[in-house]
Amino acid sequence: MIELVDVHKSFGTQKVLDGLNLRIEDGKTTVIIGKSGGGKSVLLKHIIGLLKPDSGQILVNGIDITTLNDRELNEVRKNFGMLFQEAALFDSMNVGENVAFPLREHTKKKEKEIREIVDERLRAVGLPGVENKMPSELSGGMRKRVGLARALAMHPQIILYDEPTTGLDPIMTEAINDLIINTQKNFNVTCVVISHDIESIFEIGHNIAMLYDGKIVEYGTPEVIKQSDNPVLKQFLSGSLVGPISIM
Amino acid sequence: MENIEEMGKILLLFISIISWMVRPPLKLRLIFKQMEFVGVKSIYVVVLTGTFTGMVLALQSYYGFRMFSAESLVGSTVALSMTRELGPVLTALMVTARAGSAMAAELGTMRVTEQIDALSVMATNPVKHLIVPRVIASVIMLPILTIVSDFMGIIGGYFVGVMVLHINKGIFVKNITRYVDLGDLYNGLTKAAVFGLILSLVGCYKGFNTTGGAEGVGKATTEAVVLASITILISDYFLTAIMF
Amino acid sequence: MFSISSEAKVGLFVFVALILLAYMSFRVGEYGFGLKKGYFVNVVFDNVTGLDKDASVTIAGVEIGKVERISLTDGKASVTLRITPDVKLEKDVRASIKSHGILGDKFVEIEPGTKESGYIEVDGQIKRVEQQADIDKLLRELGTIANDVMAVTASLKKVVGGDEGVANLRAIIQNTRELSENLNTVVKQNDEKFSIMVSSLKNAATEMEKTFAALSDITSKINRGEGTVGRLVKDEAVFEKLDRTVASLEEISDKINEGRGTIGRLINDEETVENLNASLKTIDKSMEGINRYISKAEQFRTFLSYRGEYLFDNSDAKSYLNLKIQPKEDKFYILGIVADPRGSRTTYDRTTNGTTTHTEEWDRDQLLFNAEIGKRYKDIVLRGGLLESTGGVGIDYYAFDDKLRLTFEAFDFDTDRDPHLKIYADYRLFKHLYLTAGWDDFVSDEGNESPFVGFSIKFEDEDLKYLLTSTPIPK
Repeated sequence: MIELVDVHKSFGTQKVLDGLNLRIEDGKTTVIIGKSGGGKSVLLKHIIGLLKPDSGQILVNGIDITTLNDRELNEVRKNFGMLFQEAALFDSMNVGENVAFPLREHTKKKEKEIREIVDERLRAVGLPGVENKMPSELSGGMRKRVGLARALAMHPQIILYDEPTTGLDPIMTEAINDLIINTQKNFNVTCVVISHDIESIFEIGHNIAMLYDGKIVEYGTPEVIKQSDNPVLKQFLSGSLVGPISIM
Repeated sequence: MENIEEMGKILLLFISIISWMVRPPLKLRLIFKQMEFVGVKSIYVVVLTGTFTGMVLALQSYYGFRMFSAESLVGSTVALSMTRELGPVLTALMVTARAGSAMAAELGTMRVTEQIDALSVMATNPVKHLIVPRVIASVIMLPILTIVSDFMGIIGGYFVGVMVLHINKGIFVKNITRYVDLGDLYNGLTKAAVFGLILSLVGCYKGFNTTGGAEGVGKATTEAVVLASITILISDYFLTAIMF
Repeated sequence: MFSISSEAKVGLFVFVALILLAYMSFRVGEYGFGLKKGYFVNVVFDNVTGLDKDASVTIAGVEIGKVERISLTDGKASVTLRITPDVKLEKDVRASIKSHGILGDKFVEIEPGTKESGYIEVDGQIKRVEQQADIDKLLRELGTIANDVMAVTASLKKVVGGDEGVANLRAIIQNTRELSENLNTVVKQNDEKFSIMVSSLKNAATEMEKTFAALSDITSKINRGEGTVGRLVKDEAVFEKLDRTVASLEEISDKINEGRGTIGRLINDEETVENLNASLKTIDKSMEGINRYISKAEQFRTFLSYRGEYLFDNSDAKSYLNLKIQPKEDKFYILGIVADPRGSRTTYDRTTNGTTTHTEEWDRDQLLFNAEIGKRYKDIVLRGGLLESTGGVGIDYYAFDDKLRLTFEAFDFDTDRDPHLKIYADYRLFKHLYLTAGWDDFVSDEGNESPFVGFSIKFEDEDLKYLLTSTPIPK
């Protein structure tokens, strides 16, 4: 279980997280929504320890990761998988090497075994036989799927998705959403998804959290969220220009 | 103030590199890859600069020494200049331009496309994975490249001195062996190793701390080359003052 | 296309580069890879100016080693040589420092010895050392010095010919000997000064050679009857005058021997001699006292100088013998005698019949005396006291590390005459030898003004000891 307690974070004079509290349930998919540049990615990076909060606690399975040193943090991170916005594949390696990277880094598996796992993961994301392609030869959607395959390689307990469907066509969006749902079901993992895509969030999310002004202003199941009369949420869901969320 | 802060950050990076260097396992494959990139792929440019520097040195010093009939000292002048100064410095500057800039660009791109974050997320320390191999490779390969540069410079000087300007072959070589000693050669190589450390450290630091997309990468690359070149030249003075 | 792994490429490249390094190391360093082989041999030189560490050690021009280190031992340079193991040095090899090349690099040359003498072991010592100067060269130079000395003696013989001269000289030498004996007690034994003396004599000799060449030139001119002096010498009448003069001189010397006249009395009177001895002893005692008083011996220095000036217009020489006592760096006393060809002037005022006649007499035999006290302020020396037996002052200006001295002296202030003014310059050619030129009495209203050239020799007490004790004194 992941719990964020009174997390503050500023970059210079800009307050990004301002006393944020959030509890992410095990074995569920939690979707975080909010306006662009509102600190969703920052929140995600806090959960995995890429950023350290100015104050507050971030508890992963009861351990406050803000107090850990590099080595201890790496042990915690081995439970995580993360899909980056642009996939963040290592462009000096081919697809196979990318997916195999965490296995080679952290396990003593034999090459043959690794190749089997890579093949299986790529199959799972619907891209069998692309091991020898370089990331630059792939389309955006394919890269994201390879990124997901890499994130899944170590069988993590928690998977973080940073805008998995942004910039993809509707079919590819649907495919990714299916992948997220299936992965969650098959491996019973905890998922944290950041998204703008209104349709997707109701499809994949067990819980939805609305981030606004550095705080979680609304949290609940899709049904609760749909019926909420929070003006911020209402404006966000309807896509209206009128409301408390200013456009900058 | 910013410069001092930057110096402090580079120093901290250096300390963390050292601490990661002594923590096994060292990724030999990555080191070899970087050695190939820094060393093997720089041979061409180093051979070219070394040879022509030696040639022009021979030509210039010949006209100077001819004024007091000391043409025989051309060989030793070329050899001393190459081994002590020009070999290490020119090699370092060429490698900075070639590999130092590439390090900054590569790491910068990895930073802005979140590849460095991806490494961290996969519980792999980016300093150990990306910077340590580059620094080790540079520190090893710079002296090796300098040997080539020294040698080619002397060969170039020999070609111009003996073949073109008709200085006596025996005297040319004898004066080299008389006035140059092993200390000159080895001190030059020590310098080169320090330059290797500087150029890789600066290149990696600039790349590693890139912000601002593609433009940021370009800026980081330029800054890396400028800062590394200046640092190499300044530290050259102090190294020379200490060594010779 | 074959794909070669990074490891293979890097390995190949490093291998090639290391071969280049090995090659360069072998060419540059004799022993390769900085490994130093060879055994050490020590040698002590008096002076290794210009010799550096790593300089070559050669036999017959073949390099057999290098200078490993240079250090100072007992004021001498101890040089450690690293000799290649396959070269064995005989015990009687001779080491010397030579220089070669455009840059004049110094190196150690070893002349091989004889096999019978055996070989020097590791860390052994090369006993035979040739100092920087060449023995043959030194001998040759000694030969020329001997010739020059003979020439000097011959000229001296001419100058001091005659009983009077001999007598004067004897008196001076007698005094000098006593002085030297006194000095002997004062001065510490120091053999090494002798070598310095020899080298300065060598320098002086070459200079003297030039001087005598010029003198012989003048003499031959005189013989040919050129110039004023020449005509004088060739003139028969002059010779008659000269004969008469010589005759009167003989008369004078006879008188002196009989104890008549001032000089005669001075020389023949036992009492005077005793007085002189007594006073010298007093000086000796007082000098001892001074030495005791001044704890730092090096502060107290004494100099003896001889100075000869050839006065062109008088065609005669004026000589000075001065003892300079310098108890402090910036303070000194000068005691001396002057032989002026014009002699000492005495004036008489006689009043006869109400008219005062003013007459002057010149006593050519009379020696003049110097007794001065002086003080130095940086490059300027002010002094005053008795100058040529009259009251006066002098000022010296030193330049170029005391190599050049400009002097102005003013003395013999008399209401009736212009004062005796003298200006001259001294230039140090070598350690003890000075060239001098100037203008004596240049405002004289009696036709005494004359330009002059000459030389002076100046020794410090420590040098004197050797000069005087090794000079046989004629009786």
